[in-house]
Amino acid sequence: MSRIVVTGIGVISAIGNTVAENRMALQDGKCGISTLSLLPSKYAGLMPFGEIKITTEELKQKLRATEHGITRTSLLALHAFDEAIKDSQLSHDEITAIDTALIGASTVGGMCLTDELYNDANKNEGGSEYLSSYDCASVNIYLQERYKINGPVNTINTACSSSANAIMFGVRLIKAGIVSRAIVGGVDSLAKFTINGFNALHILSADICAPFDEQRKGLNLGEGAAFLVLEKEEDAANKKIYAEVSGYCNANDSFHPSSLSDEGDGPYLSMKGALEVAGLTADKIGFINAHGTATENNDMVESTAMLRLFGTPPAFASTKSNIGHTLGAAGAIEAVYSILNLTRQEVYAGLNCHQPISATGLVPVQAYKKMPLQHVMSNSFGFAGNCTSLIFSTI
Amino acid sequence: METAALKQQLKEQIISFLNLLSVKPEDIKDDEPLFGEGLGLDSIDSLELIVLLGREYGIDIKDPKEGRKILVDVNTMVAYIEAHRTK
Amino acid sequence: MLYIHQSTCISPQQTFLEVDLNTVHASSDNKLKVIEPTYEGIPPGILRRMGKAVRIGVGSALPLLKAVSLDGFIIGTANGGMEDCIKFLNQIIQYDEGLLTPGNFVQSTPNAIAGQLGLLTKNKGYNITHVHRGLSFENAAIDAMMMLHEYPSNNYLLGAVDEISAYNYNIDYLSGWYKKEMLSNKELYQTNSAGSIAGESAVMFIVNGDETNAVARLRGIQTLHTTDENSIEKQVNVFIQKHLPDEEKIDLLLSGENGDNRLSKYYTVVESSIGKTTARFKHISGEYATASSFAVWLATQILTTQKVPSHMLQKSGQPSIIKNILIYNNYKGAQHSFILLTKGN
Repeated sequence: MSRIVVTGIGVISAIGNTVAENRMALQDGKCGISTLSLLPSKYAGLMPFGEIKITTEELKQKLRATEHGITRTSLLALHAFDEAIKDSQLSHDEITAIDTALIGASTVGGMCLTDELYNDANKNEGGSEYLSSYDCASVNIYLQERYKINGPVNTINTACSSSANAIMFGVRLIKAGIVSRAIVGGVDSLAKFTINGFNALHILSADICAPFDEQRKGLNLGEGAAFLVLEKEEDAANKKIYAEVSGYCNANDSFHPSSLSDEGDGPYLSMKGALEVAGLTADKIGFINAHGTATENNDMVESTAMLRLFGTPPAFASTKSNIGHTLGAAGAIEAVYSILNLTRQEVYAGLNCHQPISATGLVPVQAYKKMPLQHVMSNSFGFAGNCTSLIFSTI
Repeated sequence: METAALKQQLKEQIISFLNLLSVKPEDIKDDEPLFGEGLGLDSIDSLELIVLLGREYGIDIKDPKEGRKILVDVNTMVAYIEAHRTK
Repeated sequence: MLYIHQSTCISPQQTFLEVDLNTVHASSDNKLKVIEPTYEGIPPGILRRMGKAVRIGVGSALPLLKAVSLDGFIIGTANGGMEDCIKFLNQIIQYDEGLLTPGNFVQSTPNAIAGQLGLLTKNKGYNITHVHRGLSFENAAIDAMMMLHEYPSNNYLLGAVDEISAYNYNIDYLSGWYKKEMLSNKELYQTNSAGSIAGESAVMFIVNGDETNAVARLRGIQTLHTTDENSIEKQVNVFIQKHLPDEEKIDLLLSGENGDNRLSKYYTVVESSIGKTTARFKHISGEYATASSFAVWLATQILTTQKVPSHMLQKSGQPSIIKNILIYNNYKGAQHSFILLTKGN
């Protein structure tokens, strides 16, 4: 059975428009969470967000993407997608081959266009240019049409674990022999819809978030996109290989629609299952990119599950204090960050944790450092208890 | 508004707001716990009741944990409404 | 290998628990809305929160949840709880981003259906929601096939749900996907105009790798994105050659023809290629992104009864033996699928 390897990566987030920019920012402990300046919302000035400081118009010009009905979400996806396929040096023939899949994820889709959606859904006027752009699938259909992708295309939405599940689906498609390669990832843009939804659940913080801190008060929403190119190891003989996707597992907590159980069965099972697929014992994991949203519930439960599984957990940190919680993009962005950990043999500071959670005493990585790493785990836990863990390993 | 009338109104509002199918106002006792047992509401319901207090009575509760101390039963809710309503 | 065992279907026809496909229930206002049963088994505390998509999704699965111990839920839905989504959006506008109730938001996420099923059964297994518009169900089915390849002795609930929310309907109506003129579903194929009529359903299957007592075997599934009917013509033959041994043949083509005259070219090339009895189903289901799941359910009924309801036959003539059914469907003329089902033993 071939190993499935990553041959290209692309990312855009509040701390950088490219992989290199993101890495530099992570090394420097940069925080991209700030006041909303582009999205018109009552919450601009009230709460911080991981907003990408490029307007939608600027993205259209930069990417030469002025297609009818294109949304900010599709543009962010395109930005990261472009970088990933160039990085992987996929040829036009490979991109358009019938055995190349595109598996993406989004929770917002075109719903970032709140006013247009409101008018169209209530049939207030004759119909905007965005009528076929609202659903989550519109992003991947846009990429498919722009790049003339002929292989299987799919969109997954399981809230915050969406793009982690997309990565897992892509790996499995290759292993099943249905495709030879898969471009996988996810995107979400900031939207009044999600801002108001999370605020109604009282899980947004008025301060910059502090994952795993005793005084944490909730999450900051962010936006971004990331894509990875997955291939069979033997097909990548002449390419640079970043890492192997060695482990993956999805499990369900099944406790409550919007919070995890105290025992953390979902997170525990997804991490354990990923280890089993990878054929690794827990002690082999050198670092965990935690889901770490900085909500009271998630960080406590994730910590409990880490203690349950690892006894003494490895080094861990959340990158959500750098870029916010990017929802449908989180799994993919954090996969790229985990790959950076591995390929650079380094870990980045988990920002804003000044006092560990008293019940666990667990302290995330406090400062950038070089570190020998063979296996890195990345966690993504979503609404309805949907938990996914991925493991990346050095080749 | 008299307390008894307020209790009745509040029960009707709770039923309508939370879409409690097949529950009638007379089924809700004034001192019956809203959460856990009794009516069996959960954390999302508590957030919804906070919105109800805000929209109907102009009461602003910022912290859901503080809110739970008010949302014990109909009696505690009514007492809080009478003391703090701005509408 | 994927075998379909028990299944349920809530649809605009009499299909839930007791099935009567000979009577065609009429559309109203160009919509075919589901016949909802009384839901036994959904605790009132949970039922009260559910929008229609979640309600029919969970409701259709309930009888199956008791039948077998499941290892996971694999669901396809293009729009999820769109009604709840727009209700929340309306709140945002109405209250100008002020005090908003979170219930609609939580229920609006497409994975609310699969999530709720997991919650109700306390199932900690694989739980996934595929939302790729007109191929949501097909991707879910491919996922289920892969899971059964990876875990052959597992059982999964594979299903799909989509509802006609007023809002979805408006958006698709403005885009020209629904008829501008009022008509009855019974005359759907006689019209010569653009658009179709709206439909909805919740379909659930218990699937596993065990052929014993299986109703049907899912032998092959292929998705395509194209607007070129020549490509469809070529690919249907490639598909059949790949999945059907030479000594076997297609006995019935179940076509997703929907009365939209702009799309008939796709159905015509497939019908000509297959040259067998064609049956149509969208006059009883309506058009929506996961209509192919209804087609698969219909196919399992036909394979079991060995009879095609006469109103579905495009031309007269019942096939004498129905062993292999090919389903061809497309959504909005761009997303196409072929599904091959064979009668179980």
